[in-house]
Amino acid sequence: MHKDFARDYDSLTALYQFAEGILAANDIGEAIHFPVHLALEELFTNMVKYSPDTDGDIGVDVVVEGGAVTVTLTEEDVDEFDVTRPRDVDTGAPLAERTPGGLGLYLLQNIVDSLEYDYHDRRSSVVFTKESG
Amino acid sequence: MFEIAYGSDGEVLCVGRLDAAQCEKAQSFMDEIGDTRTLDFSALEYISSAGLGILLKTQKRLAASGAALKIVNVNKHIYDVFRYSGFNAIFDIKEKQ
Repeated sequence: MHKDFARDYDSLTALYQFAEGILAANDIGEAIHFPVHLALEELFTNMVKYSPDTDGDIGVDVVVEGGAVTVTLTEEDVDEFDVTRPRDVDTGAPLAERTPGGLGLYLLQNIVDSLEYDYHDRRSSVVFTKESG
Repeated sequence: MFEIAYGSDGEVLCVGRLDAAQCEKAQSFMDEIGDTRTLDFSALEYISSAGLGILLKTQKRLAASGAALKIVNVNKHIYDVFRYSGFNAIFDIKEKQ
């Protein structure tokens, strides 16, 4: 199922409701809901934050197949931003050395089962999968 | 939906989903905290990295005066996020029983 969302943090509630409706309709286990919503938010907000010069919608596709949830986010007319690149986050650093920010994509990469990025003709596409069980 | 308010014992009650769209509300509340305080997450369903950033910023500010945030009644999913982030080492966190 596909839906376009305005490039704004205020879209997050509608984005959550869209994905939650699909997960619930397909009897996806509760344990999968949280990581799917988290991955979706981190990718969506990353697109909003790092492509401030475009105002086009962000397309979201959610597909459930064999108990696995596959989510695709697409955006047009943006610069390249490879979300699969390893993030240098020291999660063992003491409080004094920690700085806010940078955790979103690190978390994303740790909670999904697969993550792919494609960029061509100024079009970005990110696909992640979360398996049940 | 996200709500944040003081409880009857001075604890901070967090309710709902703390996503990036709710950070301004959460940050405004946290900025008023000046002493050691317990955050009750028993009704907090969800948090993203944006919410973690607010907690970290507040913890660093309070640490400068010897105070700290403590977090109780954390659900399994949020606890996992804390663990992945290493926040379980810089916050006093109690899981929901």
